[in-house]
Amino acid sequence: MTTAAAPFGSRAATVAGPAGGAAAIAASARQVTKAYGSGETRVTALDQVDVDIARGRFTAIMGPSGSGKSTLMHCLAGLDSVTSGQIRIGGTEITGLKDKQLTKLRRDKIGFIFQSFNLLPTLNALENITLPMDIAGRRPDQAWLDQVVATVGLAARLKHRPTQLSGGQQQRVAVARALAAKPEIIFGDEPTGNLDSRSGAEVLTFLRRSVDELGQTIVMVTHDPVAAGYADRVLFLADGRIVDEMANPTSDAVLERMLRFSAAETPVPAPAGPLTAGGDSRRNA
Amino acid sequence: MILKTSLRSFFAHKGRMALSLTAVVLSVAFVSGTLVFTDTATATFDRLFASTASDVAVSPADDGADHNEQSGGAMARTLAASVVRQVAAQPGVKSASGEVSVSNATIVDPATNKSVGPTGGAPTLAGNWYETPNSALRITSGAAPKGAGQVLLDADTADKAKLGIGDQLRIITAVGDYRATISGIATFTTTNPGAALVFFDTPTAQRELLGRPGAFTSVVAYGDGSRTDDQLKAGLVATFGRTYQVKTAAEQAADNQSDVGGFLDFMKYAMLGFAGISLLVGGFLIINTFSMLVAQRTREIGLMRAIGGSRSQVNRSVLTEALVLGVLGSTVGLGAGLGLAVGLIKLMGAVGMHLDASQLTVKASVPITAYAVGVVITVLAAWLPARRAGKVSPMAALRDHGTPAEAAANRIRAGVGLLLTAAGAAALVAGSRSDSAGTGGALLGLGVLVTLVGFVVIGPLLAGAVVRVLGAALPALFGPSGRLAQRNALRNPRRTGATAAALMIGLALVTGASVVTSSMVSSATSQIDKSVGADFIVMSNNGGLTPNMVKAIQGTPGLSHVSRSKDIGVVITSPDGHREDTSINAVSPTYGEDLRVPAVTGSFEGALKEGISVDKDYADSHHLKVGDPLSVHFQGGSTRTLRIAAVTAEDNQLYQGEMYIGLDTAVRALPADRLPQDVMVLAGASSGADQAYAALQKSLAQYPQLQVKNQADYKALIKKQVDQLLYMVYGLLGLAIVVAVLGVVNTLALSVVERTREIGLLRAIGLSRRQLRRMIRLESVVIAVFGAVLGTGLGLAWGITAQRVLKTQGLNELTVPTGTIVAVFVGAAVVGLLAALGPALRASRMNVLAAIATD
Repeated sequence: MTTAAAPFGSRAATVAGPAGGAAAIAASARQVTKAYGSGETRVTALDQVDVDIARGRFTAIMGPSGSGKSTLMHCLAGLDSVTSGQIRIGGTEITGLKDKQLTKLRRDKIGFIFQSFNLLPTLNALENITLPMDIAGRRPDQAWLDQVVATVGLAARLKHRPTQLSGGQQQRVAVARALAAKPEIIFGDEPTGNLDSRSGAEVLTFLRRSVDELGQTIVMVTHDPVAAGYADRVLFLADGRIVDEMANPTSDAVLERMLRFSAAETPVPAPAGPLTAGGDSRRNA
Repeated sequence: MILKTSLRSFFAHKGRMALSLTAVVLSVAFVSGTLVFTDTATATFDRLFASTASDVAVSPADDGADHNEQSGGAMARTLAASVVRQVAAQPGVKSASGEVSVSNATIVDPATNKSVGPTGGAPTLAGNWYETPNSALRITSGAAPKGAGQVLLDADTADKAKLGIGDQLRIITAVGDYRATISGIATFTTTNPGAALVFFDTPTAQRELLGRPGAFTSVVAYGDGSRTDDQLKAGLVATFGRTYQVKTAAEQAADNQSDVGGFLDFMKYAMLGFAGISLLVGGFLIINTFSMLVAQRTREIGLMRAIGGSRSQVNRSVLTEALVLGVLGSTVGLGAGLGLAVGLIKLMGAVGMHLDASQLTVKASVPITAYAVGVVITVLAAWLPARRAGKVSPMAALRDHGTPAEAAANRIRAGVGLLLTAAGAAALVAGSRSDSAGTGGALLGLGVLVTLVGFVVIGPLLAGAVVRVLGAALPALFGPSGRLAQRNALRNPRRTGATAAALMIGLALVTGASVVTSSMVSSATSQIDKSVGADFIVMSNNGGLTPNMVKAIQGTPGLSHVSRSKDIGVVITSPDGHREDTSINAVSPTYGEDLRVPAVTGSFEGALKEGISVDKDYADSHHLKVGDPLSVHFQGGSTRTLRIAAVTAEDNQLYQGEMYIGLDTAVRALPADRLPQDVMVLAGASSGADQAYAALQKSLAQYPQLQVKNQADYKALIKKQVDQLLYMVYGLLGLAIVVAVLGVVNTLALSVVERTREIGLLRAIGLSRRQLRRMIRLESVVIAVFGAVLGTGLGLAWGITAQRVLKTQGLNELTVPTGTIVAVFVGAAVVGLLAALGPALRASRMNVLAAIATD
């Protein structure tokens, strides 16, 4: 995705310039280990992971099923606790925070986009967008809100309830909600996983634009090489470790890298077509 | 197959079922507990009466009027000692004893100057101690009373008053005031029905209780076995003719039984009322539970249909679940009912009625009724949800969410609900305008029923509008939690409506009842203000006022006048030939000053000189006017023709429907020994009411059974009596609320489960646990307050209509108890908070990630 790669360069320059140094890191993990169970039944989901998420960039996390990519995201976002290691969001270390502080952190500094069921059915689109600020008791910045709404192209549908919106529109509302509160970082958990390719492209374009035009930091877990192609950087996880990364990825390059995982996992020779291969890795879930 | 899936499903939802189960258990427990209790009590009394009745008893002939004579102040009727000998001489009679027994005595502990007898219900009996083959009492310590100055007391009363052998007792009788020392204690051989008993030796009893040496109140006789009771009776009737009445053991037992029966019936109906309420409210809970289960399982049911399950199979599977619930609930309820019966028996023991809990009488009808009630109600309540389940299309299996809202059904519901509510309201309005209390009452009953059903039907539709209004302030007051709560309450109006309806029933009842009772108090108070001129009112808790008491009142300094009042049993024959067995008031000439009875025509004072006053209702229905003659037969005395001197108004309960004659008229018409005691004495203060009140209390201090009241105390007494009625209503309310709370818990718990993902999402984007709990609490409060709005609205309409209907019956002032209504709302909010405790805690403890990942 060369179109995506071009603006990346210019953004990185502007963000890194004035903020500089540590401020360029939006979130980081140091020696993060996440294990379930104990003794013989112990399963290590993350194994001493070190990662820095650059501010103002779009980072994709990829990996085969069970690689720990979702766990990494949940830990980075303060939704899940770690067994050992440290996680920082902005300048704050979040490992060891109590539920109350974690909740506040999620509310004030983090935006979320889930795969599905992102919106409360009882609230209309606008109410859903402003919900995190409502919860925090903050007034939304109207100019910013207008800009976000305009960016995701929802101005005409603000009074609609989620059931009156298409799946793509619902995800766009979710994106707008994540953006509206100006969080330090947005986490997407397969945000296009439930969409057809056209709606998915739409949502991904909005995410890209929000990085380019609004300076947002986004971390997205995905299994879809096409989605990963929108990112500035792709991290590859396998067996709870970061095994590779790719800057300015293209979907073909990502697909090619993923196929190598599939080959390593299953002794069966790699399937013929790229689509089938992607499908396989998903089905192994 | 169906049974298997039903059972699996039942146990998969056992948490939810537990709440419905509680409702079934409560209802069945009340029904079976009541039946077992009343059966046990009846059986116990049957045994008591059967064991204590003599083979035959002879007592003075009853000349028509028999309404609780002695407590109305009438003197005990007696027969001569010669009758005992005559009975004993009868062929087939083995032994005969003269019995003295009066129920108008008061036992006082001189040490405390307090009455030691039962305060209400059961009587205080005084009599002679004599040996019979089967006495209800046996002397367990001390000795039988001998001579003047000795008395035997029953053990229960002795225990309660902490009296023992050697202690002094004071017995106030119709004849006088008598002091004696306890010579012995007698214990009931069977069940003590709660009465207090004292016994003297026969001469003392005759002298002190009857004032007539040698006289008895009855003769009890036992046969030698050669003749049946009926044959003995026939022989005695042949001897005595109609001078005396003769009763066999069976007849005595039946008489006693009907006395106790009234009380037991009251208990029974009150308890069955409780059962009815819990059934009604429980029904809603069951409907709700099954509706929610069906809604939750829509996809599952759709799948069942898709793979070939028929509608009736689906329908049956839901009903089978209900059947399992009903059978289980009935079984547990039956057990709980036995416990309840034992509890009631213990409770009765505490108030003096000693039944034996080890001899529970469980008739076959009890389990049959319990299962019938429990199972039928459950299956009926599950019928609608089951039908709805049957209608689920196979396509539902494929859909993501439940079936779409049924617009058509809603329109039908709205139509039916509006129609019913309007019809009910029309009945209420018609009832309130009705002239006759009878028709009005019938219309009121109809209106109450129809508006209740109407509100239940229309509730879900009202939920939308009312909750929107109620919830309008929530976002402003409670921020995002408030807004989310408001939206959640609006989200499923049918569920909100049905949940609130359960609460509505109880609250409507209590509001209606409190409107009626507070109107009763205010009406009575205003009637007293308007009509009572007396400064003081003296009444007795037990029987009437003896001549000594009246003398004590008359001798009190500072009183301007004293008006006496007697209840006289009469048979009145009007010129149109109508005979009425009734009682009239014989009062002092000054009575008009103490109770201002307004005459529509004629003069009330004139009626007290000679003649009679009749109420307007009576005058109208028999076409009577002032000057017309009435033939009045004084029971136990002569028949007089009295001319109507006044027709009195009907506007006040204090004299409504009453007839009055002068005291002198009664004295002339009745022999001295048939003249009853005074039932009430009214007095006025000449100056310094407070001093006179104190003086009056002082001169009557020796009679603890007397109630001396000034107007303020009298009003307080009436309020207290009305309040007692209200406690019963509060009891009902409490039960209804318990079941309704279960309903709210049920609804919330299900909502929390259904909204797991939403809750996860909310928590992920930063809703704190506290905010989440508040959201659920607020939703609960909104539902509960919605129920309170419906309930108080309905209750007010009922109460106001009832007051209008009873307007002619003396309920002429409407008072809306704002305090109670405020309490209802506050209570509803508290109920909401309590009901939300569990579900809120559960929601706040959810693991965020797991919640988001839920299907």
